[in-house]
Amino acid sequence: MKGPSMLNQICALTIKDLRIFVKDPAALILTFLQPLMFILIMSYALSGLYGGGDRPIRFLIVNQDQGRQAAAVIKDMQTIKSFALETTWKDAPLSRQSAERLIIEGKRNLAVIFPADFSAALEQGPGMQERRTAKVIVIADPALSSQFVDPIMGTLNGFIERRSFMAMVPKGIDYLYEASSPVKPRNDRDAFKAQAERAMEGGLSGKENKPVTLEQVSPPGMHVEKRPNAFQQNVPGYTIYGIFWIVSLLAGSVLREKREGTFRRLLIAPMGRAVMLIGKLLPFYMINLMQLIFIFALSKLLFGMTFGHSVAGVVAVSLAVSACATGLGIFVAAVARTEAQLGGLTVLLLLGLSALGGCFVPRFVMPSWLKAVGLATPHAWALDAYQDLLVRGYGFAEVLPKVGVLAAFAVLFFVIGVWRFRFE
Amino acid sequence: MIDVRGLIKRYGSNAVVNNISFSVAEGEIFGLLGPNGAGKTTVISILATLLHPDGGAVSISGYDVTRQANRVKPMIGFVPQDLALYPTLSAFDNLSFFARIYGFKGKALSDKVESSLDMVDLRNRAHDAVQTFSGGMKRRLNIAAGLIHDPRVLFLDEPTVAVDPQSRNFIFEHVEKLKRAGMTILYTTHYMEEAERLCDRVAIMDHGEILALDTPKKLIGLLASGLIRVKLPSDKVPVVAAGARDLPHVREASSQDDVVKIVTDDPLSTLPALIRLCDARSAAMLSLEMLEPNLETVFLHLTGKRLRE
Repeated sequence: MKGPSMLNQICALTIKDLRIFVKDPAALILTFLQPLMFILIMSYALSGLYGGGDRPIRFLIVNQDQGRQAAAVIKDMQTIKSFALETTWKDAPLSRQSAERLIIEGKRNLAVIFPADFSAALEQGPGMQERRTAKVIVIADPALSSQFVDPIMGTLNGFIERRSFMAMVPKGIDYLYEASSPVKPRNDRDAFKAQAERAMEGGLSGKENKPVTLEQVSPPGMHVEKRPNAFQQNVPGYTIYGIFWIVSLLAGSVLREKREGTFRRLLIAPMGRAVMLIGKLLPFYMINLMQLIFIFALSKLLFGMTFGHSVAGVVAVSLAVSACATGLGIFVAAVARTEAQLGGLTVLLLLGLSALGGCFVPRFVMPSWLKAVGLATPHAWALDAYQDLLVRGYGFAEVLPKVGVLAAFAVLFFVIGVWRFRFE
Repeated sequence: MIDVRGLIKRYGSNAVVNNISFSVAEGEIFGLLGPNGAGKTTVISILATLLHPDGGAVSISGYDVTRQANRVKPMIGFVPQDLALYPTLSAFDNLSFFARIYGFKGKALSDKVESSLDMVDLRNRAHDAVQTFSGGMKRRLNIAAGLIHDPRVLFLDEPTVAVDPQSRNFIFEHVEKLKRAGMTILYTTHYMEEAERLCDRVAIMDHGEILALDTPKKLIGLLASGLIRVKLPSDKVPVVAAGARDLPHVREASSQDDVVKIVTDDPLSTLPALIRLCDARSAAMLSLEMLEPNLETVFLHLTGKRLRE
């Protein structure tokens, strides 16, 4: 018999834990079906809501209008309590560029840009040969749900239409007076009405050629071809939530090995402790990667999810976030001494970190202090990185810093975990 | 094969193994006997490279177990008190895993696993999950796992705890077979009858110390043909103990707390004389025990307490 090789021992340990894993239905459900179940249920349950609560929805307003109509629309919008409009940033008036930068930096996620010719378009008279059209731009972070953006767009559209009507009525009356003078006899009333209808349809409302239109765009640098749906936005969050449940499986497996004495038996074998630890972690890291492939593949098949422009970026984030989850697993395994401790710690950590990291509720609706706290979780960085790739259309280079942060989290967990780890 | 000199192991200020020495020859079955907490598992854990000693020297086949653990590990096998197996895996998968860890591959691996399953008579349950096995079957598989790499030295830590009589006999027969094959075995137990049957020599341990070490026959011989223990009012113990030394067939009489212990070559002759002695000294007998000589009685004689107290 040849002496045992380290690689052979690591393979044996890995295969053993994978076999144990596939023979455990509860672990399979926890790993593969739980995140999918959350994605499905929560996407439907929260399909009408992403904002809410007592806190207003904040968004930026850039008023480039040279007339008074945009100011009037803004004033109308300020009467809605659930909106908080910001026209300045750090006491300086906002420009389109500064608004875009704030969205890219994640400080705000929506901006409305009123163009310079907004008033001119609204106040133009009926019957003009060359009609002017102004375009109000709504810049939205693609990670925002359409359920969040659409009500804002609808409200804005309503206010613009009202302002449009009010701006055009006086000019319409003048037009009608001119068109109908001198005073027509009573039997010409029908002809007058017809004239009025033509004025309203073709002149005042603009019919198909509206004086003002709304256009939703993404900030520069984000290559979004299609607005993401609720599934596309929920898949990353609940996937990350699901990935970190490996902590429970890994730490539970370590505790079982200690309790049942199998670690003790392995310690007597001619095998280094580092080999034992690698052999213990590797299968769970592989399970994490399989879990990611499973969830993403099913999300593509069932919900039509797309993976953005950078497969390398998705792979890099997936490798890093899986390393974080496995690292946290060894950390918990090192800290928990009993099954009861493990259960409590796992629930506390996994639900707490997922909630803070924005897996359940988007971080943009959180107060700023809670958003800052969320940055101390790997979940927030992983979620942001996935959203960069999957819904914001960013590439590998843009997510690299976030992959670096995730790798740092993983190293931190591994170092503390290995330092505190005891085989017996 | 195994050499232990002045071994000490402490947890804090508490010495769980206190300066013990013994050696085990190649092919010998050596028993460590004692109640729970005597320090047997600590000794076996140090020998199996799991614990570092705080003092003394321990070597196996000339290799120091602390400094040369890598040399020691391939030659030792360990059958722990716990069932150190993976319950959701099959017997075959369990043995395959441990065989791989020791470097078996391919056909050599499957041959080894199958012969090990034959050895413990579990071939027909090879592909059933271990969690469906009876306690005795699990114990047998536990032994097979400890022997998978054909070690030269085997540590058996209480291998018959919670085992049915049939499996216990199977284990005894198997251990005897291993001895015949020349394996050196260190066997811990608190069942004296096992030690009497299996061990060439035994060390009786209590509170981390070795109280006696010899062959079972010689240890039992310490009690001649029997031991009489009589409990008396404490003020009468010294006079009865002194008088008992002159009774017929008495080899040794001593006292421990309020008990007088008498080792005799003929308990049936000594007993009437003892009763007359107590009567003459006005010492009321509170209890009287006449024990046949065995290792259990040796332990009682040495420590004043029973093994399973």
